[in-house]
Amino acid sequence: MASPINKKVLQSLSGLARLELQDKEADKILEDLRNILDHFNELQELDTSSVVSEVIPEKGRKIFREDEERIGTNLGAGKESFPQTEDGFLAIPPVFKD
Amino acid sequence: MDNLKDLTIKSFGEGLREKKFSAMEATLAYFENIKKTDPSLGAYLHLMEESAVTQAEKVDLALQNDENLGALAGVPLAIKDNILIKGHPATAASKMLKDYVASYNASVINKLEKSGAIFLGKTNMDEFAMGSSTENSAFRLTRNPRDMERVPGGSSGGSAAAVAGDLALAALGSDTGGSIRQPAALCGVVGLKSTYGTVSRSGLIAMASSLDQIGPITKTVADAAQVFMAIQGSDPLDNTNVGLEYDPKEILEPKLENVKKLRIGVPKEFMVGGLEDKVQAGIEQAIEKIKSLGLEFKTISLPNAKYALSTYYIIMPAEVSSNLARFDGIRYGTRDGENKKQSLLDIYLSERGRGFGAETKRRIILGTFVLSSGYYDAYYEKAQRVRALMRRDLNEAFKEVDVILSPTTPTTAFKIGEKTSDPLSMYLSDIFTIPANMAEIPAISIPVEKFKEGELPVGFQLMGRRFREADILGLGQYYEKLN
Repeated sequence: MASPINKKVLQSLSGLARLELQDKEADKILEDLRNILDHFNELQELDTSSVVSEVIPEKGRKIFREDEERIGTNLGAGKESFPQTEDGFLAIPPVFKD
Repeated sequence: MDNLKDLTIKSFGEGLREKKFSAMEATLAYFENIKKTDPSLGAYLHLMEESAVTQAEKVDLALQNDENLGALAGVPLAIKDNILIKGHPATAASKMLKDYVASYNASVINKLEKSGAIFLGKTNMDEFAMGSSTENSAFRLTRNPRDMERVPGGSSGGSAAAVAGDLALAALGSDTGGSIRQPAALCGVVGLKSTYGTVSRSGLIAMASSLDQIGPITKTVADAAQVFMAIQGSDPLDNTNVGLEYDPKEILEPKLENVKKLRIGVPKEFMVGGLEDKVQAGIEQAIEKIKSLGLEFKTISLPNAKYALSTYYIIMPAEVSSNLARFDGIRYGTRDGENKKQSLLDIYLSERGRGFGAETKRRIILGTFVLSSGYYDAYYEKAQRVRALMRRDLNEAFKEVDVILSPTTPTTAFKIGEKTSDPLSMYLSDIFTIPANMAEIPAISIPVEKFKEGELPVGFQLMGRRFREADILGLGQYYEKLN
């Protein structure tokens, strides 16, 4: 079976994952992923058509808690470890380029 | 305090109450050993001497005033660096979090503080708990105190090395596919992963949320039971917590007559081929010793266990790719390379590219792949179905037996650098430990025998039914009395 992963797929995946890869790094990941996906092929020999997964995320399940005051939510904590602040605000880069 | 080697939580508590030493003396003795040994061992990433001394003063004052002491009063602990302690760094051994300081306590830390424990520092680990040798830490190498040329295992390698090297009396680790039990086995100490949902994950930096569980690494099974009792229990901050409180009597004082009734299963699939000779011999030795207690053994079958690795390496990276999306380089990260001309997207790409190590990137990409449209059914959904099959196998087995015994790892500790270039061979280290995470059941790794100088330790694993920590801890406590 041809590997489902190639350089182009990897490029698209790293874009989706917001992960910049250097060329050398990408080559190594590509080789490793091919080996790993080859190994995963063993799962295809198993017939799971009648198995109901207990852990596939349920669609449409909503859990609401009561709207009442509870344990402090730590509001404002962590501000001091934010990489950049300006006049008490958290500074983030512009969404769009100039 | 010159003999830290023979100290256990139990003997520590007795010594403290009989005033043979103070909490302060004990704390300082551990720091002395850390300063002497850790530069070469590499167990810790961050020491907490100042706060530990303050904690020790409090314990000694309570002792002086005859106040009620908590179960772990004065016990010096090491904490894995993915568990938050307010005001202290929590890097998860990643460059991405090198400057992060925790702004709140993990729930287990609050519980341990209540029981009087003292925190010595934060231990090294594989980045974001991904690895089996602690070689994926962005900051330092941890060595195995039993043989300094070898790895301590991982991902909780720093915690296991700290306990085995007497740099802490006990430690906390986290276990997603074996990250407590595998390093415990390789370092010759005890490691417990409890039933999923029994120990709060609030304040644990998430790796794979359906599998992660915090647990103790200790010198004895009795100590593991003590730490487990201190950290288990309900917690409204973790919505996967089952809200169960264990009965301390059954966990801490198991009765031999109950242990003798346990039926032990040995999976035939775990005992054929691929085991290092020393591990094979160790398991046989453990079985013989348990038989001497008069327990009944049975060969069982877990036909889908052979798919554990593939299943795990689909489900876990899928969850990793989602969980690690929060590290966007804006809220956490260095922003060192930031250039005013860059857009938000550029920063995401470059900060994540620079902040994460090779194994983390590999798993994020793999997770993104198995969840992507067109491959989701063939990989992710397939793996979830196989996970259900593996749970079914274990449920069937637990109709016939009460405890399942196996090796913890296929090999003893391997050489530093031996497996770093081949991820698949590294992943195989977790082959026996993954099923317990998949099925959410408790499992413990116990050394086959007391450590002998010049030999590499071997651990065996006991898995129990969900919520039956009492069975594996009970058998383990009687096992270690035979040593």
